[in-house]
Amino acid sequence: MITLSHYLALAGLLFVVGLFGALAKRNAVAVLMGIELMLNAVNINLVAFNRFMNPGEVTGQVFALFVIVVAAAEVAVGLAIVINLYRRRLATDVEEADWLKW
Amino acid sequence: MEGGASVAIFWLLAALTVGAAVAVVMLPNIVHSALYLVLTFIGVAGIYILLEAEFLAAVQVLIYAGGVAVLLIFGVMLTRRGHIRQSNPFNSYHVAAGVVSLALFILVVLALGRSPWHAFPGPWPEDTVGAVAEAFLGPYVLPFEVAAVLLLVGIVGAILLAREEKGEK
Amino acid sequence: MGIWQLLSVELLTAALGLGLLAVGLLMPGRERRGLAYVATAGLMGIAAVAWAMREAQGVVLNGYIIDPFGTYFKLLFLASAVLTCIASFDYIGRLPRGEGEFYALLVLATLGMMLVASAGELITLYLGLELMTISLCILVTYRKGDMKSAEAGLKYIILGALSSAVLLYGLSFIYGATGSTLLEDIGRVVAREGVKPLLGVGIIFVLAGFAFKMAAVPFHMWAPDVYEGAPTPITGFLSVASKAAGFAAFLRIFFGALPASHGLWAELIVALSVLSMVIGNLVAIPQKNIKRLLAYSSISQAGYLLLGVVAFSVLGVGAILYYSMIYVFANMAAFTAATAFFNEDGSDEIADFAGLARRSPLLAAVLLFSLLSLAGIPPLAGFVSKFYLFVAVIGQGYIWLALLAVLMSMVSVYYYLQVAKAMYFGEPPAGRAAVRVPLGMQVALVVCLAVLFFFGLYPTPLTGYAFNSAMVFLGQ
Repeated sequence: MITLSHYLALAGLLFVVGLFGALAKRNAVAVLMGIELMLNAVNINLVAFNRFMNPGEVTGQVFALFVIVVAAAEVAVGLAIVINLYRRRLATDVEEADWLKW
Repeated sequence: MEGGASVAIFWLLAALTVGAAVAVVMLPNIVHSALYLVLTFIGVAGIYILLEAEFLAAVQVLIYAGGVAVLLIFGVMLTRRGHIRQSNPFNSYHVAAGVVSLALFILVVLALGRSPWHAFPGPWPEDTVGAVAEAFLGPYVLPFEVAAVLLLVGIVGAILLAREEKGEK
Repeated sequence: MGIWQLLSVELLTAALGLGLLAVGLLMPGRERRGLAYVATAGLMGIAAVAWAMREAQGVVLNGYIIDPFGTYFKLLFLASAVLTCIASFDYIGRLPRGEGEFYALLVLATLGMMLVASAGELITLYLGLELMTISLCILVTYRKGDMKSAEAGLKYIILGALSSAVLLYGLSFIYGATGSTLLEDIGRVVAREGVKPLLGVGIIFVLAGFAFKMAAVPFHMWAPDVYEGAPTPITGFLSVASKAAGFAAFLRIFFGALPASHGLWAELIVALSVLSMVIGNLVAIPQKNIKRLLAYSSISQAGYLLLGVVAFSVLGVGAILYYSMIYVFANMAAFTAATAFFNEDGSDEIADFAGLARRSPLLAAVLLFSLLSLAGIPPLAGFVSKFYLFVAVIGQGYIWLALLAVLMSMVSVYYYLQVAKAMYFGEPPAGRAAVRVPLGMQVALVVCLAVLFFFGLYPTPLTGYAFNSAMVFLGQ
């Protein structure tokens, strides 16, 4: 029997894999990919909670749909900036953009 | 779906999703990463079907696998430089990042193990599309309108930033 | 009051933003300058509407809360948006990008902040936050042809998206544990059932997400680079308004809905506050660039503001409200002065401010007094605002924390006075003429200065308003 905990653990695993990618990658596009994985994990959480804890309403699904919408807008703007930057320096390495300089 | 079949499908989809996600992060070639990302998105769509959220699964395939992933591949192709085989390296923080990620995962799993969920798979709406539509234009009409403005801002911004001005280059 | 009336501030802001966008496309390039005046006047008009609604209360559209607390923040956002517009007149006119879009995005970012401050529901809150982040990220990248600006935009969007993802993961657990996204329902369930482990994990993720948005140490690493690379007026807007929006949402969630979980996050907030105050102030000392200096100063300000959260009382919330309003005027004055200087000399380096007192007495005086207000020197308003925060934490028995905050304020006096030293005792570079400050900017600077002195000498009207809003917010 697959329970809520299974889905939550799957989402947790996906989230940390994405987080690791977002924190450990040099290429800005790869960082965005990591963030997308994290957002997918969030959506699995939302839908699973919706299905198992609160099936009378569709709040979790609605939330997940909004997350998808925002993620698409974010990726579009993020990539526009990456392309903008690339054109000037022919680089997409976030580390070359003095990434995380203290 | 009942019993053994759904259990097997869950494990299959979970392995596919997580495996593809790990490949996205670990592969040294960013084009391969992007392709595995599509696979992850499709795996997640399968999970939604298992959770009986069919509309969300369709949206996931259309927007994530069809839109976002293609956008990312465009991004990769438009910004290529150097050798593609080494296009997706780690940065110098990857050990710390790994430790932080692992610690967070352990935290979540520990909390999961200690949380009793009295789950009740109650009456799930037959027609999720209808229920979602009513929610969008009923209680969630304000975020719905805000999302419209947000998408407009995203479009305007993307054009503004990526457009090549005359005289540039 | 009807729903249209309650939502009038948001509706007018949305109309102004979308209108500017549409008109900007239709107008020929040369005449777009007028849009700056339209945006400024429009925002002032909306501020007047918000002021008229300062006592209004009501809940509309599934948990969208109109209350004095939210309206206070809306006035704060509008004030900083107006000051940003005025500071941008000349700065943006010189950039090769459209002016119409600039002001439209500024207004829409303000709309996002308003939604955040009034949201009583997690989905609305998230969308408001993202509307703000995406608009601001485009504005940060607005200096076309400038590498630093593009890098700043990239960092801002990536860390904004990353922090949103962390925040959302936390919110998903809060939704799961309580079965609702309405803050009111969440509060009821948590008060009844206590904090389950998974809800606790969710709260920690939400806290980390907000710490990113507020630029509190150790989640601050994006701030200095983004602040340095962004167009100077936008840096000012980022440092005051988006921080205030983060605090508004934080207070709504943690004080409004999750007071029952106070034991879980109280110590974490103390840690964030101490780290932000200490690291922000100490790293500010060696800075050579005025924008980086103000960036670290703004990190330390987040630490002071968190003191009000530590206090967890009406006094604490009131002190946060008062502090953030004064902070708007002090910080915007400093950034506007830096913008005026940049327009003339094209430099943000503190060394180039040498002898500014002789080249422009007004700019030097404004910069001096706004920095002194940020440091908390009497009789400026910054002193009163810090005083209330310190009293609020001492009231909860955190005497060591108040002492540390006072000590760190003294450290901040040192680096602020370094700037003053350069301006008043340095020799101006040979052959540099007086700095020309446009009339609109002069008025804005004088108004900021007047506010800092007035509320320093006679704080009662604003403190009264702030503490009333805090009392209504906490239902006491």
